[in-house]
Amino acid sequence: MAKKSYFSALTELPANLWHSIFRNPLPSSDLGRSQTSFTNFFLHIHPVKVNKHTIKPWFTMGLGLITFFLFVILIVTGVLLMFYYVPSTEQAYNRMLDLRSSVAFGTFLRNMHRWAAHGMVAAVFLHMCRVFFTGSYKKPREFNWVLGIVLFLLTLFSSFTGYLLPWDQLAFWAITVGAAIAGYAPLVGKEIQFLLLGDTSVGQEALLRFYVLHIAVLPLVMTMLIAVHFWRIRKDGGLSRPEEADAASQPPGESLEAWPTELDVAPAQSAVAVQTVAAPAIEKKRYGIQGLVRGPFTKVGNVPENSVFSWPNLFMAELFVFVLTLAGVLVMSLLFNAPLEEPVNIAHPPNPAKAPWYFLGLQEMVSYSAFWGGVGIPTLEVLILLLVPYLDRGTKGVGKWFAKERLLANTLFLTFVIVNIGLIIIGTFFRGPNWAFVSPW
Amino acid sequence: MRLALAIASFVILIVHGLVFYNQFFHKWERHQTAYFDQARAMAKTDAERAALEGRSPRIEQIIVTAFGGKNQVDRCTTCHIGSDDPRFKDHAQPLRSHPFSEELGDRMVNGKWERRHKFSDFGCTVCHDGQGRGLETFDAHGEDHYWPSPMLGYITQNWRGDFKPKLKDKAFMQANCAQCHTEETFKGAPLVAKGRQLFFEKNCYGCHKIEGMSAGTLGPDLSEVGKKFKLDYLWESIVEPRANSATSFMPKFNLSEEETKALVVFLKSRRGVNFSETSLDRYRATLNKEKEGSPMLTATAGTTPKIEPVAGGSLIVLGEKLINDRSCLACHKLGNRDGGVAPDLSFEGLLKDDKWAMDHFRDPRSRISDSIMPTFNFPENEYQAMTAYLMNLKTPPPLVDPSGMYSSLCARCHGDLGDGKGMISIYLDPHPRDLTKAGFMSSKSDERLMKSIREGVAGTSMPAWGRVLNDDQIRGVLDHIRKNYVKEPARQLKARQVPDTNPVVADAASIKRGEQIFLQRCTGCHGKKADGKGPNSIDMLPRPRNLRNADFVNATNDRRMFESILYGVQGTAMPPWVDYGLTQKDVGDLVNYLRSFNKPRQ
Repeated sequence: MAKKSYFSALTELPANLWHSIFRNPLPSSDLGRSQTSFTNFFLHIHPVKVNKHTIKPWFTMGLGLITFFLFVILIVTGVLLMFYYVPSTEQAYNRMLDLRSSVAFGTFLRNMHRWAAHGMVAAVFLHMCRVFFTGSYKKPREFNWVLGIVLFLLTLFSSFTGYLLPWDQLAFWAITVGAAIAGYAPLVGKEIQFLLLGDTSVGQEALLRFYVLHIAVLPLVMTMLIAVHFWRIRKDGGLSRPEEADAASQPPGESLEAWPTELDVAPAQSAVAVQTVAAPAIEKKRYGIQGLVRGPFTKVGNVPENSVFSWPNLFMAELFVFVLTLAGVLVMSLLFNAPLEEPVNIAHPPNPAKAPWYFLGLQEMVSYSAFWGGVGIPTLEVLILLLVPYLDRGTKGVGKWFAKERLLANTLFLTFVIVNIGLIIIGTFFRGPNWAFVSPW
Repeated sequence: MRLALAIASFVILIVHGLVFYNQFFHKWERHQTAYFDQARAMAKTDAERAALEGRSPRIEQIIVTAFGGKNQVDRCTTCHIGSDDPRFKDHAQPLRSHPFSEELGDRMVNGKWERRHKFSDFGCTVCHDGQGRGLETFDAHGEDHYWPSPMLGYITQNWRGDFKPKLKDKAFMQANCAQCHTEETFKGAPLVAKGRQLFFEKNCYGCHKIEGMSAGTLGPDLSEVGKKFKLDYLWESIVEPRANSATSFMPKFNLSEEETKALVVFLKSRRGVNFSETSLDRYRATLNKEKEGSPMLTATAGTTPKIEPVAGGSLIVLGEKLINDRSCLACHKLGNRDGGVAPDLSFEGLLKDDKWAMDHFRDPRSRISDSIMPTFNFPENEYQAMTAYLMNLKTPPPLVDPSGMYSSLCARCHGDLGDGKGMISIYLDPHPRDLTKAGFMSSKSDERLMKSIREGVAGTSMPAWGRVLNDDQIRGVLDHIRKNYVKEPARQLKARQVPDTNPVVADAASIKRGEQIFLQRCTGCHGKKADGKGPNSIDMLPRPRNLRNADFVNATNDRRMFESILYGVQGTAMPPWVDYGLTQKDVGDLVNYLRSFNKPRQ
């Protein structure tokens, strides 16, 4: 008896193990699909059903997801790199040489980290453009836009702090220039610079500070904010979409705007709800929800909507974006090596000493006016970006690319984008020794 | 979409495959395997063979602790694994063993060579340079152009193909010998010794500083030049001084290829603090040299031809030899050799006298207060010999017509177009007069201009041409200038209220008042020190006059002082101060003040 039960326990071990980890079998019914979503820790952040509009590839282009996946790649490669790195001016550069020559996969890890970091700066910016051009920052998503801007700034700062760590000429002088730009702020500029560098010039203190910021402070803060950013997407009613997207199967007489159109409820109730999709409207219950949710209630019950199950539609799309992002980073890392210039030589600045590319627009402006280019205009730009959803209170044109109703706003933002990218291009390719104009050809 | 997903996944797989392949099939592993195979074949005993049997490829490294205070990691022996195995002396690289040589101090003991510089102590990069941590030739040999020390004489990262063959020579490694063997008598690095000798012989020290050796200030400090620059840059900077700095006025020296090489090796060996000396040692050496007086005397003593000054004839011969050997003509012109930086010496005997020449040799700024010529500390008898030779040059150039005279005597400074932009003009201070500036030229009388030509301008590089030209010829040249360059006749000037001599008595009170006025009115251009370097001066051409140039100030009479201050100097930035409220008495005070610190020559 005992023998037999042991035997059966052994034979069932793989299956039991499997079921203990994944509570549900691969779903074949709607009930299974919803259960898979909300019983899995990693999936339960998704709604069980999403609006069809949300997973149209050309609406979001997956830019937010790309940014997030790049962040994940950065965390993973960054942790691996931390095993080899020492934030000391004596050792840092030698560690880079070791990574390049002797550490298994060292070059490749560094390349991945480097290109994913540059990619993330670009992706987060494009994500911001997408959100603006589709008018997705409008009520009730104002605060999520603000969070996004903060995340954008944190991304820039993360990339900037990481730039110093190889401790080569490129890093040293880029940070010297970048920190000098911070020093142009009135009254507190020099103090900020000192706080950042821990010294009057870039040295051991700066390296240590940048290291701690780069590997501990900023990733933690960003992880927190990314979590809130995601949470707010759901609590603000999913991704933005035009009114027609909901209207497709909306029963007549149903009010549109008051109801967030997703399910976010306890499993049992939801399961019931899902099973009765086809049923006519049943009595609705309302639950008050604590937290950051705009609008008084989340509705529970059957909501006829133009939606599909997240499994497999949304998850497949996300997997696709992930695989594509990873493939992109891998191919970049195989083809291009992260730069490593001469060891730091304080007495021998390169001419021109350039900041990282994403700050070259700033540096270009600084070359006209230290205060306005380095502090005044960037501060104004950030302030305006933060305030955009509170200044533009129109409700039209949400969820559509370049909606006609938003011609003015989109034109202004497009100008902002083109001017900034233009400045970066000028700073990157058209500036030679002494910041004189040169032709790249 | 599923297809795209599959393709993307496939790409990921491929990349992983490639990365893993690169990671696990290193070139150095193949080299080591080849070494083990061949060593096994050569092995004489079973034990030896068994030991090799057990070896598998691994990264070899030498940690060098004795040099430069920092631990240095050399992994070169990972590929060059046979470097200390004499059986591999005829193999191809990377397995070939390092040669033994008596020159390096290796000794034959009991039929076996013993290395003087053991690899376990010295590693490889101490002598060869390169990047010890690298495991790919691109990194390890320093082919990466970002790496500051590529393998000496082996890797050239040059941007100029024409230098390439000249830089491939193991003799360049002597620069690294000198990191430990710093003594000047060391025989093992002949190129360093020769380069050091050339550094003094060719007068490099006059412009360049090398801590503990020389104190020149005109050119860049070369104390750490070997640390900053690679061989190709050094070579290029010597043979083509303007290749890397368009504003460099370093002359092209007449050097043979062998001499250039020696200088490059010497410069490459200048790396600030060496392995064998501390910065304190270096500072002490500088102090000692200063205590001995002229730092260069000792350095050049060994190179001076020992010829006793006897009769005038042999002195002149010696002087000629010195002028040639000491690279004077790298800057100056003499006969058909021309450095293009400094004035023509071809008929110096006509223009100057012994005293002037000797003063100028001992300290060029004693005669031309803003001369850039370095002070060369030659022995006094050499000065005398060179003076004797120069003062013997009394053949004027053929003087036919005014236009010819202008081009042979004036154009070197004042330019072929008379615009003051002659070949050497940028090296002269004050800058040669722009003769096309009608404002200046037409407001000066012929007498005044002829006087400047005839007597020269004291304290500047303008010589007294009256010693070469007679008054008719001078007038001819002036007419030529007026006709061709000024293109405006001399204006008849209004009679001015100017005293011939300063009416204000030069007492302490007047000088004090003059100083006050100077500080209020003049410092913006002439500078607080009255040296002509005020904050506005850089925007002005001609530059404000250096009022501490004693020769010039003393040669300028009170009348001209009053005229220039009260009525301004047309064609320059000097305004008429009478319009700004200065009275004759104020100007008198100013003149007294200026004269108070410009003492006449004894």
